[in-house]
Amino acid sequence: MKRFDYLEPRLLEEAIALLQQHGAALNVLAGGTDLLVEIKEQIRAPAYVMSLGRLPGLDRLAFDEREGLRIGALVTTRALETHPAVNRHYPGLAQALRELGSIQVRNRATLAGNICRASPSADTLPPLIADGAAVTLHGPQGARRVPLEEFFTGPGKTVLASAELLTEIVVPPPAPHTGKHYIKHGRRKAMELATVGVAVCLTVDGERCADVRISLGAVAPTPMRAKAAEKVLLGKPLQPSLVEEAAEAAVSESRPISNVRGSAQYRTQMVRVLTRRALEEARRRAAA
Amino acid sequence: MSDLSVVGASVRRSDMRAKVTGAAQYAGDVRLPGMLHAKMKRCAVAHARIARIDVSKAKALPGVKAVLTHHDVPRVLHFGSPHPRSASLAKDQYILDDKVRYWGEGVAAVAATSEEIAEEALDLIEVEYEPLPAAITLDQAMAPGAPRIHDVAPKGNHVIEPVRVVRGDVAKGFAEADVVIEGVYEMGRPTPAYMEPNVCLCQWDVEGKLTVWISTQTAFMVRGILAEVLGLPLNKVRVICDHMGGGFGAKQDLFQTEFLCALLARETRRPVRLEFTRKETFLGGRSRHPCRVWLKQGFKKDGTITARQAKAVYNSGAYASHGPGVTSVGTFALTSLYRCDNVLLEGECIYTNAPIAGAFRGYGVTQTYYALDIQMDEAAERLGMDPAELKLKNAVREGDLSPSGHPIVGHGLEDCVKHGVQLVSWKDLRNRKKGSGIKRRGWGMGCEMHGSSAYPGIKEQGNAIVKLNEDGTATLFTGTAGLGTGAHTALAQIVAEELGFTFEQVSVVHGDTDVVPWDIGAFASHTTYMGGKAAQLAAAEAKKQLLERAGDRLEVSPKDLEVKDGVIAVRGVPAKSMTVREAMLPTRGQPSPHIVATGTYTPTKSYSFAAHFVEVEVDTETGQIEVLQVIPVHELGRIIHPVAAAGQIEGGIQQGIGHTLTEDYMIDEKTGRSLNPSFVDYKMPLSMDMPPIRTVMLETAPDPGGPFGAKGVGEDPIIAVGPAIANAVYDAIGVRFRHYPITPEQVLQALSAK
Amino acid sequence: MKRAVSFIVNGERLELELDPFRSLLDALRNEAGLTGTKKGCDVGDCGACTVILNGKPVNSCLVLGVEAQDARIETVEGLQAADGALHPLQENFLKLGGAQCGFCTPGFLMMAKALLDENPHPTEEEIRFGIAGNICRCTGYTRIVEAIQAAAKEMRRE
Repeated sequence: MKRFDYLEPRLLEEAIALLQQHGAALNVLAGGTDLLVEIKEQIRAPAYVMSLGRLPGLDRLAFDEREGLRIGALVTTRALETHPAVNRHYPGLAQALRELGSIQVRNRATLAGNICRASPSADTLPPLIADGAAVTLHGPQGARRVPLEEFFTGPGKTVLASAELLTEIVVPPPAPHTGKHYIKHGRRKAMELATVGVAVCLTVDGERCADVRISLGAVAPTPMRAKAAEKVLLGKPLQPSLVEEAAEAAVSESRPISNVRGSAQYRTQMVRVLTRRALEEARRRAAA
Repeated sequence: MSDLSVVGASVRRSDMRAKVTGAAQYAGDVRLPGMLHAKMKRCAVAHARIARIDVSKAKALPGVKAVLTHHDVPRVLHFGSPHPRSASLAKDQYILDDKVRYWGEGVAAVAATSEEIAEEALDLIEVEYEPLPAAITLDQAMAPGAPRIHDVAPKGNHVIEPVRVVRGDVAKGFAEADVVIEGVYEMGRPTPAYMEPNVCLCQWDVEGKLTVWISTQTAFMVRGILAEVLGLPLNKVRVICDHMGGGFGAKQDLFQTEFLCALLARETRRPVRLEFTRKETFLGGRSRHPCRVWLKQGFKKDGTITARQAKAVYNSGAYASHGPGVTSVGTFALTSLYRCDNVLLEGECIYTNAPIAGAFRGYGVTQTYYALDIQMDEAAERLGMDPAELKLKNAVREGDLSPSGHPIVGHGLEDCVKHGVQLVSWKDLRNRKKGSGIKRRGWGMGCEMHGSSAYPGIKEQGNAIVKLNEDGTATLFTGTAGLGTGAHTALAQIVAEELGFTFEQVSVVHGDTDVVPWDIGAFASHTTYMGGKAAQLAAAEAKKQLLERAGDRLEVSPKDLEVKDGVIAVRGVPAKSMTVREAMLPTRGQPSPHIVATGTYTPTKSYSFAAHFVEVEVDTETGQIEVLQVIPVHELGRIIHPVAAAGQIEGGIQQGIGHTLTEDYMIDEKTGRSLNPSFVDYKMPLSMDMPPIRTVMLETAPDPGGPFGAKGVGEDPIIAVGPAIANAVYDAIGVRFRHYPITPEQVLQALSAK
Repeated sequence: MKRAVSFIVNGERLELELDPFRSLLDALRNEAGLTGTKKGCDVGDCGACTVILNGKPVNSCLVLGVEAQDARIETVEGLQAADGALHPLQENFLKLGGAQCGFCTPGFLMMAKALLDENPHPTEEEIRFGIAGNICRCTGYTRIVEAIQAAAKEMRRE
C-alpha cells in the first residue's frame, strides 16, 4: 500500500477542519473495505487517511415507529443486517445487505461508506432510495439534509462538498400495507457486484397500487428511480399485464453499459425480468 | 478390499495438524534477518520492443538496494518449464528480454527494504516502448502475414511442429458410416486460481550456495534450471518447499521471478523475497490453454464409431510453457475414451500476445474431451439412442490401445457408467416428463479417462529411500511435492503396508532437494502411482533386509517370516516372534543393522476413469444455470486414503463447474489488457454456489503398475463434469452448447433463437 | 511515521511499532511473527486472512494495524487449548477432509468459530451463507461444511 499519514480526530469539528485543510489529499476512513482496496489497487493515493473511529455518537442505530430508522455513519452493514427492525420493516434493505460482500466485509463496511462510494451498482442504494431515505451532511456551514435520490451525480460522485461529512442516514417509518423487495442479479450467490439491482417499495389499497417507488442499480451512471414505471402503476389495479407494462417502462428508462460483468443488452433484459419479479414479490408481501 | 490394514483407511494425514493450527510453514511464511522485498515492474502493452529503460531514479530512492533490467541479467534462452526428459519442449524464454510479448510481462525487478518502497520504486522506472503489431487472438496469430511473436518458432506462430496421429483409414471409416456428425467446439480461458500466491525467497551463503524457498510442484526442476541459467553446479543450489497452498499444475513453471530473486540476492548479499499479488497470479501466472476443436465422427446405425477426425488448436499465449505437452496429450487423448479404429488427429499450438497458458489439471484433455463427450451426446440423439447406451457401447476396455500406447487394464469406464446409470436411475430420468415452467431441469452424463503419469511424453522417474531407525521406526525420503493432496500421507501408508508396520511407525521427509532423492515433481496425477510405487519398492527392499536380520535372531529362514502391525512372526507360529524394535536394537556385540533401501520406478501409464451424472436447473427468463447435484463415479484401482481421494474429486468438480459456467480470464482483444485479474471478477463457485456431491469410488480395475493396484485421481474429475453439465443443459432446454463457459446471456440468446 | 500500537492477541498483550499503512494482517504475520493467518488476495475477496476482532470475524487485510489499538484479536494460533488439545473445529477439519492444501484453512476455522459462537445450531444453509466470503480451491466445500456441522454437534454436547 502507498504510504500515508493517519489522523484520528476526536470531535466532528476537528474532522471537518482537517477536511478543509487537506482537501483532495485526504480520504475518509470508516470501515475501510472500499478505501483500503482502492489504495492497494492504486486507484487512490491519499497523503492523509482520516479515521472517523474516534468521533462520538456516529455508531448509533435506532428504530422508532414514528421516526423510522436512524443510522450513524459508523454503523456497520452487519449491524444493520442483523437488526430485528431492519429485517421486519425494511426487508428490501435487509436483502441487499445480506448480499453485500461477505460477513467479514460487512463487519467493517459501513452503510455510510457504501453510500459515499457511490458505485452505480452498490446494493444498498436502490432499496434505500425506494424506501425514501435521506442523508445528513455536516460541513463548516453546519448541517443539511439531502434526499438520497438527489445525492448521486455520477459514478463515484456525490453532492458532498469537499469539507463535508455524511454523519447520518434516516429512513422513513414503514407505512401499512407495504411490501418491499430487492433483487440482485449476479453470476454467483455471494461476493458479487450487481449486474442489475432492482428495489421496490409498494403500498397497496386493496387491489390498487396506492404508492410505489422503484429504484434500479447498475443500469445508469447512478442508482435511479424508475419514474415512468412507477407512473404506469400508480393508482391502478395491479394486473399482471400492468406489471409487465411497468417492467417495460423500466427498461426504456434504464441506460446500462456493457462491461466485463455483462453486456448492455443482457442487463436490459434483466431489468424487465427482475422489475416484474420484484413487483410480484413486493405485492405478495404487501398483502401479507 | 479388506486384505490391507493401512492402505484403504483414512488415517490422520501427516500434514494436517500443522495446517489446522497455523504452524504449517509455507514458502511465504519464511522470514530471514535482513530480508529485502522485491517487486516486478510489468508492462502495459501486448507486444513491444523496449527502446529505453531508465532505472536511475528508482535506484536513488532511499531504501532501494538493487534494480535489474534486461541489461543486467544473463541472456540465456531457457524452457520456462523445463522437464528435461520431455519429448517436446520449446526454449523461448529469457529472464528478461528486450521485448515484451504480453500485457503484464515483467520488465524489471526492484529489491528494497520494504514492500511499499519497492512499489514506489516501480513507478520511478521509466520505460519507452516501441509498440509492435500484436496478434492477440488465435485468428490474428494464424492469419497469413501475422506478426511473428518468436524468432525461435518452427514456422509462423507455431510453438511446435503440429502433432499428427493416424491410425487405420478414416476415409474408409467415414464411407462406412450411416451417420456423420461434425462440429466446432470452443473452450475458453479458466485459470487455476490457487489460494497461495506464487512466492519465492532466495539466499546465498558465503560459499556461493543458493537456497531457494519456493512454492513449487517441481523443486528439482527449479534447481536444475536455476543452476543451468546461473551457471552453478547442482550441489550449489538447494530448493526447499515444505507446505504448498495449491498448484493444480500451474506451479511447474518458473516465472521470471525466481531468477530475479536469486540475482537480486546475489547483488545485495541479502535474502530477497518476492510474493505475487493476487493480480500478478493472473497477469504473470499460467492459465489453461483456450482451444478450438473441430471434430467429426462417423457412426453406424447401431452406434459403433467408424471414424474420428479432429483438429485441435491450442492457444499458448505469449510463451510455450507446457504448450507442447498439452497439445500432444490433448490430441492423443482423442484416440481413446470411445474406441475407434480409424482416427486422423491433428494438434497445433499457437503463440499469441496473450497471457501465458501452462499446465493445469487435465492438461489438454479437458478441452478435447469436452468436445468429444458432447458430440457423443449429439450423436446419441441423431441415432435415437440413449447417450449412456451409446457411450457404453463404444467405451474403451481391457486390451484396447490407450493414448500412451499401452493396453488398457480392466473395464473401468464401463464399470463407472453402469454403476452410475443404476445409481441415479438414468433410464427413468430419460423417460420422465419434462417440465414447462420458467425453471427447467435436466440430467446429463459426462465421461473421461486420464493417465497417471506423463509417459510417454516424459520419461518420468520416481525415487524413494526408506530408512529403518534403530528403534524400528521407519523414515521415508521422497522427492514428491506436497501440493496439498495428501500425497505424503498416502506414501507413508503404502510404506507402512508394505513393511507390515503401523501407520504411526512411518514418518516422511520431503521438500528439501539436498536431502531427498531426485523426483520429477508432482503433476500428471502420478504422485500415488509413481511416487507410491517407488516408495513401495524401497519399502520392500528394506523389509527384505529387516527379515534377514530377524531371521538371524529367530534362527529361521526369512522366507518364513511375516510382519504385521510392527510385529515379525513366523508364519503360522505367532509365538515365535519379535517386534520390529527388538529386531533392530543393537545387541551385545552386534550393532544395529544399517538398513537404508532405495526404490526407483520408471512408470509407463495407468488410466483412471470416471462418469459424472449431473442435474441442472435453467432459469429460462434470466438464462442462469444452476447445478443442483453431481454424482461422480470414479474408478481408481485401489483407494489409498478414501477421504483424500474423495477430496480430489470434489475439488476438481468445483473447478469444472467454474470452467463450464462462470470462470473466464478475459483480455481485451484489441489491446491485450487483462480485464478481470481479481477474485471479484474472476468468478469461482463459492460455498453457496456448490451443489451437493455424492462421491462414488470403485476399485474394479486395479493396475499392477501402481502400488497395490492404485492409480491416480487428481485430474479426472475436472474433465468429466464439464460435458455432463453441457449435456444436462441440453436435456433441460433443448439447446446445445459447444463451448465453455456458458453464460446466461448466451442461454437467453439461444432460447430466443429457438 | 511509526506509532506504538497495543492489542491483545490470543489472550496475550502485544506491543508493536507500526506504520499507519501497515494492515493488521501484515502486522500479525511480520511484526508479531504469527504467520498462521494467510494472505490470499490482500483486498478482502477471499477470506484467507480472517481473524476475530472484538468478537467479530473480519478480513484482517482491510483493517489497519493502528485501528486495532486495544482490540481483542483471535487468530488460528489461539484456537487450540493451552494443553495442545485441538478445538473441535480443528479436529473435524483434520479428520473429515475439510482441509487439503490448508492455505484457506485458518480463515475458514476462524470464520466457522465466529459462526458457531453466534449460532450453535446452524443449518447447512446458514453454514454455507456464513462461509460465503471464504474461498477454497481444493475441497469443493462439501467436507468443510461437514466438518463444521460435526464440530457444532460436538460443541453442543460439551
